Order: sequence, then C-alpha cells, then structure tokens
Amino acid sequence: MREKIIGIDLGTTNSCVAVLEGGKPEVIANAEGERVTPSVVAFTAAGERLAGRLAKRQAITNPRHTIASIKRKMGTDYRVRIELDGKVETYTPEQISAMILQKMKKDAEAHLGGKVVKAVITVPAYFNDSQRQATKDAGKIAGLEVMRIINEPTAAALAYGLDKTEDQTILVYDLGGGTFDVSILEIGDGVFHVVATDGDTQLGGDDFDQRIMDWLVEELRRDTGIDLTGDPSAMQRLKDASEAAKMELSSRKETTINLPYLTADATGPKHLERKLTRAKLEQMIDDLLAKSVRIVDAALTAAKKEPKDIDQVVLVGGSTRIPKVQELVAARIPGKINKEINPDEVVAAGAAIQGGILAGEVDEIVLLDVTPLTLSIETLGGIATPLIERNTTVPTEKTKTFSTAEDNQPGVEIHVLQGERKLAADDKSLGKFQLAGIPPAPRGIPQIDVTFSIDADGILHVTAKDKATAKSASITIKDSSRLDEAEIKRMQREAEEHAAEDRRKAEDVETRNRADQLVYQVEKALSDLGEKVPGSQRGEIEDQVRRLKEKLSQNAPADDLRRAMDELSKSSQRLAEEAYRSTATGADPSDQSSTEKRGQDEGYVDAEYDKK
Amino acid sequence: MNHPVEEGATPAENRLPAEGSGEIPAAKEEVTTYVERLKRLQAEFDNYKKRTLREMTALEERVGDREVCDVLPVFDNLQRALEHLEKDGATPAFVEGVRKVVAQFDQILAQKGVSPLACLGERFDPAFHEALVCVPSDREKDTILEEFERGYLRSGRVLRPSKVKVSRGNPEAKEA
Repeated sequence: MREKIIGIDLGTTNSCVAVLEGGKPEVIANAEGERVTPSVVAFTAAGERLAGRLAKRQAITNPRHTIASIKRKMGTDYRVRIELDGKVETYTPEQISAMILQKMKKDAEAHLGGKVVKAVITVPAYFNDSQRQATKDAGKIAGLEVMRIINEPTAAALAYGLDKTEDQTILVYDLGGGTFDVSILEIGDGVFHVVATDGDTQLGGDDFDQRIMDWLVEELRRDTGIDLTGDPSAMQRLKDASEAAKMELSSRKETTINLPYLTADATGPKHLERKLTRAKLEQMIDDLLAKSVRIVDAALTAAKKEPKDIDQVVLVGGSTRIPKVQELVAARIPGKINKEINPDEVVAAGAAIQGGILAGEVDEIVLLDVTPLTLSIETLGGIATPLIERNTTVPTEKTKTFSTAEDNQPGVEIHVLQGERKLAADDKSLGKFQLAGIPPAPRGIPQIDVTFSIDADGILHVTAKDKATAKSASITIKDSSRLDEAEIKRMQREAEEHAAEDRRKAEDVETRNRADQLVYQVEKALSDLGEKVPGSQRGEIEDQVRRLKEKLSQNAPADDLRRAMDELSKSSQRLAEEAYRSTATGADPSDQSSTEKRGQDEGYVDAEYDKK
Repeated sequence: MNHPVEEGATPAENRLPAEGSGEIPAAKEEVTTYVERLKRLQAEFDNYKKRTLREMTALEERVGDREVCDVLPVFDNLQRALEHLEKDGATPAFVEGVRKVVAQFDQILAQKGVSPLACLGERFDPAFHEALVCVPSDREKDTILEEFERGYLRSGRVLRPSKVKVSRGNPEAKEA
C-alpha cells in the first residue's frame, strides 16, 4: 500500500491531525474520541509524560510541570525546567512540541492501522526560519519525517481548492481560541506567496467566554451580594455554561443560561437563570471584534491592497462561526467568503491535501462519475419506481423483481425514466421496450427481474427477464448521464418544488393500487371458499366489493377509497376467521400460505401491464 | 448478446497491433499497471469497509455517550436539589419522593451501562479526574479532598471525569 502522509495543524491551544482518504481529507479522532487535541504536555510525579486532554485535566495540581502554549516559544532559547525527585532536566520547546506530535502520530496510527512516518506540519505565516526549523526538528524528535512545513493560511486555502484558481488575492482570517492571525496571500501558477501578515497573540474565543462569565458573576453579585470568584466549582460551571451559550448563539438568536443550585448562603440555595440574546453577546464583544477589523485593515495596508483587491476570504478558527464575525468581514471585504469547511479542522485538512499531493495520491485519483438523476421504471398507476438513486457512483448494477398486474397478462412494458419526480409522467422518458411471452398465470405470480446496469462510460443497459421462462428483452440507452448541467439543475429544482404535491399524488395512486389488490384478493377468497361462506355474509361482502369497485371506476378521492377498504378488510377478516374455524382440519396449508403471501409481500412491485 | 455495431467504428482487425511492432510489450505493461491498480483499489476498499464497520460501532457508542452526557447535568442538579431539601427542612415525604426520583434516575443510568466514579479519598488520576482546585492540607499530596461534580464511566470508558479538589500536601511538614 502507498505510504500515507498525515497533515498536522500544530496549534497554540489545540492541534488537529488529518489524512487524505479516497481523495478527501479526513480528520482523525484521538484516543479520547475528540477531533482536536489540547496542545498541553505534563510530567507527573510518577515520572509519566502526558499529552493532550489528560495533561490539561491535571494542570492545576501540577502547574510547574504542565506546559501549555509552547508554540509561542518555538525557535527561542527558552527552556522548560522539570524538577522531579531532586533531578533537574531541561527541555527545549522542540522537545515539548515533539510530545504533542508523538500523540498525534500515535492516534493516527491507531486510526490507519499501521505505522505512520511521514507528515506535513503547518506553522503561522509569520514564523521565521528558526521557528520553522524548530518545528521541523520537533517532528524529527517525534519520529516523523517532515515532508514539508507549510503556512497555516496556505493550508486553509488548499482545503478550499484555491490553488486551482487563476491569479488571485486571498485573505485568511483566523480567529482561534487564543490567537488571531490575518494573512494576505497571492496565488499564481499554483504557488502561494504570503504578501502580508498581522495579528494579535492574545485575542480569541476564550476572551468572548470570559466576557459572558464576567457578566454572569456581576449579575449574581447585584442580585444576591454573593461573589462567586472564590468558588472554583461554581466558576467552572459558569465557564462551561458561558462557552455553551456562546456556541448556541451562533445558530440561535436567544439562549437561556440555567444553573440551578449554583451556590448558597445563609438564606438558602441560589440559582442563576439569565436570558442571553445574540444582540447582547455582540454588544459584549463589540470592542474585540472591532479590534480584529482594525488588524485586517493594517494587513491590507501592509500588503498595499484595497479591500476590493481581495478575491477570496477564508475563515479559520472556531470563533469565525459567530455570525457577527462573518458579517463584519463581509462588510469590510467584498470578495467571496469561504466558510463551508469546519473552521477548527480546515488547516489540518489542507495539510492532509498537501500530504496527498506529495504522496502522489492526488494525481492518481480516478474521478468516477455519478448518475446525476434517479433512474426508474414506470409501474402500475404511473408511479416512477427507482432502481438507481441519483448520486450513485458508476459503474453500478441494480436488480429488482416485478410482477404482473392482471391475471394471465401476456407481457410487460418496461418504460425507463430519469428524474426525481414521483410520477412517471413528470420524469424524462429514456425509452421503452416489451417483454412478451409470459405464460398465463394469476397476477402477482410471474417474477420479472429488471436489471439496470450503467458502465463506466455512463451507458445504461436495461434488461427484463422472466424467471420462469428465462426469456429476456433489453434496451441500451447511451445518453443517460449526458444531460447538461442546466437541465439537471432544472429537474432537481422542479422535484423539490413539487415534492409535497408529488408525494400526495403518488400516495393516491398507491391507495388505488391497494384497493384494486384488495378487491382481487377478496373475490378470489370468495370463489376459493365457495359453499363454506354463509349466504348472508357472502351478500354483505359482495356488496362491499361492488361499492369499492364503483369507487375505483369513478376515480373517487383516496379518503373515500380508504373508508371503503377499511369496511371490506374488516368483513373479509371475519370471513377468513370463520373459514379457518370451520375447516380447521381439512384445509390445504400450502394453498393458504400462498394466498396470504400474495396479499402481504411487499417485495414485489406490480409493473405496468400492457395487454396486447 | 448481439450489440449492434456502430457505424463508422474501426474494424476490429485494424486495432490489433502488428507483430513485432513493440506494441504488445507496451500493452502488457499497461495491463500489469491496471491490474496492480485494481488490486490496490480492491484492498483499499476492503480495508475501508472494515474500518467503516469499526467506525460505525464506535460512532454508535459515542452517540450513546453524548445522549447520556446531555442529561447528566439534570441529574447533577436533581442531586443538588436533594441535598438542599434535606438541609432546608422540607417535609420528609417530599424529600423521600425526590430521593426516589434520584434512585430511578440512577437505575436508568445503570441500565445504560453508566456507573458513577467513586473518587473521594482516592489518588488523583487525570485519566478519571479533572482538578478544579488544589489546596494545602494534612492529607497526602494528590489525594482527592472533595468532589464538585460526579464523574461517570460507561462500559469502561470515561464518560465524564469527576471534577475535584486535590490536596497539595502539607508544605510546612515537608520543609520540616
């Protein structure tokens, strides 16, 4: 197997690892089941080394031997001093970063089920040579062969496929948990150039949480006089609730922060319940966001660009999910905003793509076509019954078994359709053919296999085969997937617009089909049972059958049909019960089971018949 | 099956490479490349299926975990309410009723494979506990002194770590 090259976003607060799979970047969850790993390392008294979530959990018990944000020290001569059992050891920032990388490597190996040796690691665009070299060395210490160090904004742009665009100017707005970076890139001939960078190393989502917390603490103090800041348990609950509220307000206009039994004083327990609106949150963080816009302006000035010169904006970092952030960026820069990829993972995704390119994986990807629209055949009552759903990757083959709708039906017509509508008449007809020579049999008995097969060139072969006689007929349709884009869009749009109406129409047809089936079954049962049905009961049932048939022929509304069917089903059930009771010993079991099966088996769909 | 021949199609014999033209080795090599690629693709697909199955199982577990995690805060608050009710002298019948609701909740969690983590007096372990505060005390260093929020396990996995107060040990005793 080709060697995988993983992509690692080695962040200040959190790190993330991804790998290219089947041409798409996949983020790898860590051993704790999380998609991002805290960039924290710890040395415990027991001589253990911890990295990630566990290191973070014990930080407060072991502050001197817990290291966070080591990225800020990369490329400097800063040393981490660890004193354990009287022995002092010093570690370089590279060595500490290597412990985080080692964890990412191990988690990736667990996911991929094999050794991982090669990696692409990202760094901020403003990192100088020694910082880049330090990052590379960290990788080496972790046992990784660092195939390339790439800029975080470049990775984000790669994730959006912007390397394939013509000469463009791109602004990357990266608002993470604790740091804010703006980078302006130029792309030409698939190569990115960093034109300018700016940022604030102490601005991020954590500041927004803190603002909400401050507000809650103040509210409680005003209401009850209680100061929560000395209560670590209550403060932790406030912190979690603040972060949750902030996140919820990215998709909703208002949220309630509800913390029952948050604290207590002499007068009893104190609860905290506050409504927080999106508008209020925006007001709380207004100055922080304004600051980020000023930094964007400074970067533009440094790059000697006007906002209108920016063709693409890429949003990175969890805090860019905040609608106000997106609004402010859009108001400042008229270019296209890319925000569809998870902003916490987009840098790692881009690094994985770079890894895939280096591994030669990207070139090798054979782009397989998909069927743009559903392919169906027309069945009883003009329903389009799908065989191959839209978006199925080709080549592919599907077979479904159909049957006849009439007793002694000599043949079936296979009408091949394309489209998303539920009724055959609304879909595009691709072709029709007949399968004749079906031996006389009651309806529902013949089994006709209809096979749709699409080859890699998009050519559709449809074959119908009668299982009993092995007789078959087929058709080849050459242009099943060669609709132009506009036509596909139109058909998809129409299907969405008519979805409700189509479903109702299809249900009506299905109700009619069921009514028809019921009439057939009951009539058959009456004739099979013959003398065993008492005259009065037979009369009642025959009346009901006649009424239902009339309704069918008059095209009565589905509700009417359903009512008549309910009546008839009830009395025919009684009919069956009594028949069984009177013939409990003498009945032929095989006959019974086959009658029942026909009524209940939903695996068969009646093909539209065509009597000749 | 007889496929109709398309008009203008190249007659089959014209497509056969002439002997000794060097096309056969090239064609053979191409076939080898394709077979190689097919095998790799098949292997990758096979592995993909296996991994997808594994991931589906893991996903099911995680979704289950998340569902339980979402209701745990309600359970926490119910327990907090019970503690206060007892202190605040609510009627015994009411306290008893709430106690039964808590017991019912506990039972449902147990049915879902969720068990509480006992931590008081244990040694702090970041695999199971999250330290919110660390204070000097006469108890041995790293002993858990207080539980702020109960932690839970589900089928051996940590669903939520216990949030705890940890002893820093007695600094004076150490210096002596």
